[in-house]
Amino acid sequence: MKILTIVAGVLLVFVFVWERVDVVRLGYQIERLKSQKVLLERERDQLQVKFSALMAPERIAKVATEKLGLVSPQQGQVLMVHQPGETPSPSLPPVDQIRLARYDSSGRVSE
Amino acid sequence: MTAGPSRGRRYVMLLLLLCGFSIILFRLVTLQVFQAAELTAKADRQHQKTVSFEGARGMVSDRHGKVLAMNVEVPSVFGVPTSLESPSTVARHLSSVLHIRSGELERKLRQDKSFVWLARKVEPELGRRLEQLSLDGIGVVMEGRRFYPKGTLLAHVLGFSGMDGQGLEGLEHQYDSHLHGEKRVTVLQRDALGRTVFPKGLAEQVPTPGHALTLTVDEVIQYIAEKELEEAVTHSRAKSGTIIVVEPQSGAILAMAVSPRFDPNVVAALTPDQWRNRALTDTYEPGSTMKMVVAAAALEEKVMTPGSMVFGENGRMVIANTTIHDHDKLGWMTFSEVIQKSSNIGAAKIGMALGEQQLYRYLQAFGFGQRTEVDLPGEVSGLLKAPKDWGRRSLASISMGQEVGVTPLQMVSAVATLANGGVMMKPYVVSEVRDQKGRLLKEVLPQVKWRAVSQDTARTMTTMLEGVVTNGTGTKAAIPGFRVAGKTGTAQKIDSRTGAYSSTKFVGSFVGYVPAESPRLAMIVVLDEPQGEAWGGAVAAPVFRRVGEQVLTYLGVSREDTVKIALAMKDH
Repeated sequence: MKILTIVAGVLLVFVFVWERVDVVRLGYQIERLKSQKVLLERERDQLQVKFSALMAPERIAKVATEKLGLVSPQQGQVLMVHQPGETPSPSLPPVDQIRLARYDSSGRVSE
Repeated sequence: MTAGPSRGRRYVMLLLLLCGFSIILFRLVTLQVFQAAELTAKADRQHQKTVSFEGARGMVSDRHGKVLAMNVEVPSVFGVPTSLESPSTVARHLSSVLHIRSGELERKLRQDKSFVWLARKVEPELGRRLEQLSLDGIGVVMEGRRFYPKGTLLAHVLGFSGMDGQGLEGLEHQYDSHLHGEKRVTVLQRDALGRTVFPKGLAEQVPTPGHALTLTVDEVIQYIAEKELEEAVTHSRAKSGTIIVVEPQSGAILAMAVSPRFDPNVVAALTPDQWRNRALTDTYEPGSTMKMVVAAAALEEKVMTPGSMVFGENGRMVIANTTIHDHDKLGWMTFSEVIQKSSNIGAAKIGMALGEQQLYRYLQAFGFGQRTEVDLPGEVSGLLKAPKDWGRRSLASISMGQEVGVTPLQMVSAVATLANGGVMMKPYVVSEVRDQKGRLLKEVLPQVKWRAVSQDTARTMTTMLEGVVTNGTGTKAAIPGFRVAGKTGTAQKIDSRTGAYSSTKFVGSFVGYVPAESPRLAMIVVLDEPQGEAWGGAVAAPVFRRVGEQVLTYLGVSREDTVKIALAMKDH
């Protein structure tokens, strides 16, 4: 019985120590993954900036005209095709149908 | 005999032990009680490090979510001069990577400091190369740098932020409280090897990024406006130029182009003159474009009808000992023709028929002499004197657009009011503010300011302004297949040396909207000091046409003749 208690006690101590060591190990792992996440996010942002710069209308127009030899459509070359029942020139709804905020002379705004 | 010396030794030993323990006790009390705070702090410094984090600055995108400004983490290079053995060698190595003069770097590295910045927010590639060099006493940290991926596009509206991420100009300044990220100080634990373990309450310590702005601006419309403005400024050799495109029903600004342009990515060498948003900071005498406001007032007050006859005095009229001229010897003409032909004498007579108080009231109703309250910094209210300060010629002068100072934004708001059936809307640039998770924090709705004139007056004015484009001074603004309403303006500038109107310096402009029957765009084109032919109808009206034509195609607005063309193509 005594021996069993001692063995159980020693095991408990081992479990406690193992748990503490594992917490520290996991801490390092979290830190490593966190650094990796930061690096990946940084790379994503850099790629997004690059993508946005490549998609700039000025650049696209330059490539289209100088590299590909495209030209802007001339009068009559663009025809709008509309679904049956659709108004030919979709105009904005009249002012009384737009969600509006009004403000009085004191500058207060209300919807 | 033996007891004496033995007892003596015992006493000596006891005394020594007491002394020893007293010393230890004294030292313990000193360390644990008197120096406790100081030593605890010292220990903390060794195994903790305090780091200041700032959340990334919020993104700015156009109405379709295209990125216009965003933050990216890039390397900043610092030096620790106190730990350098040979600053000159290190400076030489650094110079080859950073492309900064070796002498300048050496001067910084010889300072009696424990930390100096050597280069901030450099290209990511430079940071990688420096890390490969692994120079002692030189370190690299990551900092958020603002990028404007579209370069000069919308630069005057976006503005820019400073080295420490604070908004300095434009929207960056106006919405700084939303855009800047949260600043937070975090304590990190270090182990015996100096490695960071993990912060206390990791999840709570991450600083929140700034809010994202969505603009009313459309980057394609902005590009069209900037491209055409640049071409017009170059072609006419004008000093500067402005184009504003507004959605009349809401007041949403679709484009705001200013020339000369600047790149907000490299502002260090620029002056305020280059980044100033002239569309709302600069005033000009509008000249004939003001006649549409005078005409609208006369119609609203029933002083005139489109068919009322006005005598043009054969192109010459004397008022308050000064002579007003017209470009042609005009005789009798209808009220509509006064606007079509842009007669100064006709406009002066209409103004005089209205009277000072009425004219002043309508100028205010169309937003002149007050800020439009657009959500951009630096807007001026322009110049509109009260009638008590008017001279004997003022009524006539103001009716033809002199003695008043307006901003291009005020003028486009006035024409958008006519396009919107007489209801003035508040112009705005930011439509939404969202937090980092995309949750909507603020939605900006179109705001009605007031009704300036009745719908009938606005409708009549549209017909009259269409006449300007079909038969009057603005024929070069006509867009085939669309009904265009607009007004030309050519104003002499005041010569700063003589104080009189210059005969060589003009402001040529055109304001209008299209399609006239159901306006999708209200637009102003202003060219400051064009060389050669300076008439608004000659220099600004064609720009209106080119921008309008491309934007309407982009928006998918059908031409009136679409069906005819389609049928013609079918026949072939």
